[in-house]
Amino acid sequence: MPHFEGLLGDEPRIIILDIGSAYTKCGLAGDTGPRCIIPSETKNPRNQQTSKIWDYSSTDELYEHLKELLYTLISRYLLVTPKDRRVVVIESLLCPTDFRDTLARVLFKHFEVASILFAPSHLLSLMTLGTKTGLVLDVGYQESFVVPVYEGIPILKGWRTIPLASKAIHSRIKSQLLEHGTVSTPEQKHQPVASMPDILTDELLEDIKVCCCFVTEYSRGQQIQEVTMRGGHANKLPPPPPDTDYQIDGGSVLNISGRIREHTCEVLFEQDNDETSIATLLMDAIVACPIDTRKDLASNILVTGGTSMMPGFYHRLQLELSHLLKKPCYAQQLGIKRFLFHKAPAKENYTAWLGGALLGALETLPSKSLSRDVYLQKGKLPDWCCIDSDFLLEDKNSKS
Amino acid sequence: MATFATVDLVKYLCTCEKKFPICRLYLCKHCLKLRCIDCVQHEVDTPYCPNCLEIMPAQEAKLKKNRCSNCFDCPVCGHTLMTRASGHISPNPEDPNKSVTKKTYYLACGFCRWNTRDINMLDQTVATGNWPMLENPHVKRINNLLENYKLMAQVEKADRERKKYVKRRSHLYLQDKFNLSPSVMKRKGLSSFSSLSLKEGDKTIEDLEPSVPVESFDPLPNDYYTQPAALEKTTKLVHRLSVPEFQPEDVSKLHPINKHLIMKKSLRCRECEHNLSKSDFNPCSIKFKIQLTALHWVPEVRIMTPSTFTYNKETLVTLTMSNPSVFNTTVTLSQIENETDVDYCTAKVELPKKELVLASRDEPSMHVYEDSSQAHEFKDDPKLIVFRKGNKIGFVVKVTPVVPQGDVKICFLLKHEFRNTTVAALQSESKEPEIKWLEHKVYLCLGTI
Repeated sequence: MPHFEGLLGDEPRIIILDIGSAYTKCGLAGDTGPRCIIPSETKNPRNQQTSKIWDYSSTDELYEHLKELLYTLISRYLLVTPKDRRVVVIESLLCPTDFRDTLARVLFKHFEVASILFAPSHLLSLMTLGTKTGLVLDVGYQESFVVPVYEGIPILKGWRTIPLASKAIHSRIKSQLLEHGTVSTPEQKHQPVASMPDILTDELLEDIKVCCCFVTEYSRGQQIQEVTMRGGHANKLPPPPPDTDYQIDGGSVLNISGRIREHTCEVLFEQDNDETSIATLLMDAIVACPIDTRKDLASNILVTGGTSMMPGFYHRLQLELSHLLKKPCYAQQLGIKRFLFHKAPAKENYTAWLGGALLGALETLPSKSLSRDVYLQKGKLPDWCCIDSDFLLEDKNSKS
Repeated sequence: MATFATVDLVKYLCTCEKKFPICRLYLCKHCLKLRCIDCVQHEVDTPYCPNCLEIMPAQEAKLKKNRCSNCFDCPVCGHTLMTRASGHISPNPEDPNKSVTKKTYYLACGFCRWNTRDINMLDQTVATGNWPMLENPHVKRINNLLENYKLMAQVEKADRERKKYVKRRSHLYLQDKFNLSPSVMKRKGLSSFSSLSLKEGDKTIEDLEPSVPVESFDPLPNDYYTQPAALEKTTKLVHRLSVPEFQPEDVSKLHPINKHLIMKKSLRCRECEHNLSKSDFNPCSIKFKIQLTALHWVPEVRIMTPSTFTYNKETLVTLTMSNPSVFNTTVTLSQIENETDVDYCTAKVELPKKELVLASRDEPSMHVYEDSSQAHEFKDDPKLIVFRKGNKIGFVVKVTPVVPQGDVKICFLLKHEFRNTTVAALQSESKEPEIKWLEHKVYLCLGTI
């Protein structure tokens, strides 16, 4: 009985949407977890082709894909009527303008939602802790992205990002398998993977990462990097963990060597020519911040993003940080003795979503979000990086 | 069967300027315009469980997070789980010499053989309901946070209300007028959250324990370095993500998943807000209460036989047109003026100039007509109308491709009579239904040169 939905119960619940570069998290405000986490891709029902949301060549193409994706989310998972509902969109601070604009266009014009609030993911992640100060590290699919937040205001001078995350791990697994990997098919044993590179699909690489790989200990990691990065002798490698036989469809068995299992995640921590890794990212972010904020930031680190759920990630990150602290370049500048981490009351891959769900359940939401009327009137979105768009929200305030 | 097999050859232009095959279009009887799937509003009608086909009222579905409480999916393969009964022989408490058979139930997947005994879930004494549910371990903390933020939001709202009153008297008014707000405020997009942070002196702060920081984490257990990855004991990412709040990594932590509901959907015209399609309330029924698909109201054009084309040479093509209405319908075809889009028009077309009359659709006598008698009745020109059978005619158009290669595409304007039976019935019973003329642009792809 859709007509009575608004009368009988409370207000229609707000849709919380987080379109990540690998996975989309979607649910309703006030829930303790998203209703679904699905890949950010759409499937063409005619030719069964999947297309990734973020691989778009034009905004028109993006528009069609977003429409498909949102339709699936709304009618398959949320089972709600989108018209006149409020939406909270969780976005990265680095979200391209044309993506935001297109998403707003789909939501306002096609689904006719009442209002949208674009909320930065790092701030929302902090909301799940109940604190206002913290150093938020998001290790997602495309990149690792750190933003220091002090008293609820992001220190924009201190944001740092590096293209080391899931995607880098996947391509490392792929190149390693192509170089050394072997496949045993029913016909022939121990064929090199390079002879049939087609089997290495993105899904397979992801599954290998999830099921077989882990982040190794600091000391072992250093030994490995000594050999792989700085050309040390191979006999200095720690004894690798045992190989794993990974079943692929069709009776083939892919041999995942212990080296692949242990070495691939090193890509996040090995310092290349610029001496940057995920750990230095955090350090540099702290260094860029005002000196009186540094202690607070270092003792409130929050890690989000699915990649940080790799086994051993936290242990390694923490040791990396404390070793970096001994380096002269940081020791003199920082004056910090220790790092403290927070664990959000959620899995890392939906921490930002949970923040959105908390924000969406508040009664101040309407005054903070951009309403459909204002959008249709002005035709643009407010953005943190352009100053002239303030009028959009202020207009609304004076009306409300 | 062209309507169902190769639907993309003949397309009609929707009011929103997109081209769709006729079977995917709707005709709004109130605006008298074609509507496609993109220009209608989709609404939730009734959520129901696809397994037990039981309707769940929207309120209840909301509470249960759109999941059925009695049906379960296999956490491994997604197949529906079956309830299995097994007999247990236990001694009778009253008479130790006799034993009684007690029935217990467990859930098993008929496809991948997973069952609830694999994860050491206790068998149940009743067949339905009563299965233990998982609970998010963070619920309490999240609710605490939410309560706290709600209090803060109230304070903020009250603050704003107060400001509205005192605005004119305070210096803030001047600030607003001359736009002297501090530069931090310029960053509206970011600063609008700052007010949600805890303020000193707020009484709410005491209720919330701060999050406890962790200084060091346990290293990985030694098994990682000495054992091969236990693939059969590790769940895949799909399994984890299907239960976002728990994401079990160990196979033994998998738990039956309550079946997700699906819904019956109704479509509504965006302009006049009338229903275009509304299904029967009952999930078991496949009938519609309202179904305004264009197939039932607009004459359908099909290509009769494939033809071969040569560049700049006239070819006769036979098209058929059938009338879905219960009245005789007059149709005229005409060229589309100013059609410059070469993508959709690659041939010159000569259309029948006379009006075409389509016989009414008469379901019972559809297969008994004889061709000759009908042709006589309608005084058809045999050069134009190739055949006539029931509500369908075959007519000839002359097509001259103007491009040397590629697809031969033609387009024309189809104008047909439309008798609006529903509106007429509402107005008066005696009056004949009013005749309206509707125009549709039709795009055909006839084949390659």
